[in-house]
Amino acid sequence: MDEWQFFQSQVFPSLMKGFKVSISLILPSAFLGVCIGIWAGSMRVYGSTWLRKLVDAYVAIFRGTPLVVQLFFWYFGLPHVGIYLSPFAASVVGFSLCSGAYQSEYVRGALLSIKKGQMLAAQALGFSKWQMLRSVILPQALRRALPGCGNEIIYLIKYSSLAYMVTCIEMTGEAKILASHYFKYTEVFLAVGAFYLVLVSLAGWFLHHLEGRLSIPGFEHHGK
Amino acid sequence: MMPEGLIAVFQALPYILQGSFVTIGIVLGAMGFGLAMGIPLALGQVYGSPPVRVAVRIYVWFFRGVPLLVLLFLFYFGFCSLLDINLSAFTVSVAVLGLISAAYQSQIFRGAIASLPAGQLKAARALGMSDAKAVWFIILPQALRLSIPAWSNEYSIVLKDSAVAYALGVAEIMARTHFVATRTYQHLPLYLAAGTIYLILTYAGTRGLRLLENKVRIRGYSR
Amino acid sequence: MENDPILRIEDIKKAYRAREILKGISLSISKGELKVLIGPSGGGKSTLLQCINFLVMPDGGDVWLEGRKVNPHRKRELYGYRQQVGMIFQDFNLFDHLSALQNVQIALLRVKGMDKKSARERAVAELERVGLGKHIDHYPAQLSGGQKQRVSIARALAMDPKVMLLDEPTSALDPELIGEVLAVIKNLVANGMTMIMATHQISFSSAFATEIIFMEDGLIVEQGPPSKILSSAECARTKEFCSKIYDLHGEGN
Repeated sequence: MDEWQFFQSQVFPSLMKGFKVSISLILPSAFLGVCIGIWAGSMRVYGSTWLRKLVDAYVAIFRGTPLVVQLFFWYFGLPHVGIYLSPFAASVVGFSLCSGAYQSEYVRGALLSIKKGQMLAAQALGFSKWQMLRSVILPQALRRALPGCGNEIIYLIKYSSLAYMVTCIEMTGEAKILASHYFKYTEVFLAVGAFYLVLVSLAGWFLHHLEGRLSIPGFEHHGK
Repeated sequence: MMPEGLIAVFQALPYILQGSFVTIGIVLGAMGFGLAMGIPLALGQVYGSPPVRVAVRIYVWFFRGVPLLVLLFLFYFGFCSLLDINLSAFTVSVAVLGLISAAYQSQIFRGAIASLPAGQLKAARALGMSDAKAVWFIILPQALRLSIPAWSNEYSIVLKDSAVAYALGVAEIMARTHFVATRTYQHLPLYLAAGTIYLILTYAGTRGLRLLENKVRIRGYSR
Repeated sequence: MENDPILRIEDIKKAYRAREILKGISLSISKGELKVLIGPSGGGKSTLLQCINFLVMPDGGDVWLEGRKVNPHRKRELYGYRQQVGMIFQDFNLFDHLSALQNVQIALLRVKGMDKKSARERAVAELERVGLGKHIDHYPAQLSGGQKQRVSIARALAMDPKVMLLDEPTSALDPELIGEVLAVIKNLVANGMTMIMATHQISFSSAFATEIIFMEDGLIVEQGPPSKILSSAECARTKEFCSKIYDLHGEGN
């Protein structure tokens, strides 16, 4: 078969199909991951002692074990206690919780980097706790956390390929099926690699511009 | 669930722990490979001519942008059969993880080299050192020391990524755990056990690197 | 023979983009002389010194060491030349990962290929000569600025340089530490070391320099022995500059 025709008629449609699944995995996972990360990061800085310890433990466990183990736990392990998740649901749960643990690191670092004087100044002006959070702490912290959090989402794009291992057929899964069927591994995996490269590069480019958009003169991101 | 689960874990533990030697083998091989390749890549990016710099950047962009699983499939099923070379799944896993780690490690070293003041290289040259000697005796000893914390982070990433080698059928921790789990139907406790082993390996490795960092620390030196 | 120059530079030029830093500098120095470069910051003193041993590659001009023209594009020749020309930097540039002793030793071992024992003996001797015999195992971060600069002088001396280039060796030091470094340099003068030094230390220069060279905007404006250049009416520009330094700093730094 002509290579180009093979690409047009087989590879491209399959990868597009998988691509849609990949995106529908990545978007909710990234969103949930950021939400979990902001909550967990804030708790690790401002929470009560026991809550802080609990969240620290969550982060240590999810950052200290492979994502594959976590996915297997959600997909193959949970039925043991009577909870059955679809491959898709298990993947989203796995990605969100793992990503959230990493995100919380950046949020925590950003919150800790805000100088004490900023809060004192806000208090001196009569800000309430909530007003201070909203108009002083978060605008600074989110800028500082942005590069790390954005990078984490880029990681998530790449790691979404692991959903294949719990039989959620996304882009990598489609590629694997196609490649084994036609026995054209090199071509198909180069193609799917290119898809990911484009996706990751676009995300990186977008992040870079967002950082530029939000940058404030003299307000350095994260010291060194 | 608990008693049967615990029994299954204890019965399977020796078998799974053997897999940790395979995991450690993958990690050490990949980290070593990544180190050996990451240093020249970093030097190429900092001191190389424009075409060398562009080549390094493309390398880094590629290996940092394509998912591990895709690269494993590409190299194992694709390149190996295309070039008709017969490599074991273990070898391919080490090679692919090493190629990726080289990309990340090169950026660690590049950052460390860039953080050294320009005067270090100038002073070495003023003493009549060739550029190669200056890099070897003056720049790298400092840059590598500065890289240890980031390197420890890279270790924990490679360790976790090594579990993906399961997809090629390498008999490391994850593959063995899954194998036992499908036979005993004790998935939950077995994955918890596997997770614990990884936690211990992560902790042991980062702890060891912290000790190394203190051992090679130079009094009063910080940058 | 005694008066043949050890080092001679001719028409050294350097520009960064459109900005000319050096507009053609020539000078020569004979054995045992101390030539002092003075002049406003940005006048090209530091660039000139770095051009002399090709840490900054000049756009034009030549350098002769003991009558032999140096070709900086032949690596071996360049490295050999630099070994004979000691360089002292304003901000010391000690190797931060090496102790004082190792800083002095490293070029002996790695560049000159000396064996360990003699390299160590030589390094210890040089450190003792600059009064740091008790600090040989200290790391740069554990030394004061003055001590660091003395280590860097020992490091250069250990290479048996024929000429030394000193780029404002005291200007990064706290005032109370300047004296110890100047004392070491005075000692070098007394022992007949040949040196070119950029500095703002006017009274030190007038006491010890063979010649003072006033540089401004990339050119040598005036030059001559201290007695002449600091007092005679022909050297108005230098006198004006020096009195400004006195006014500003009492004794410059």
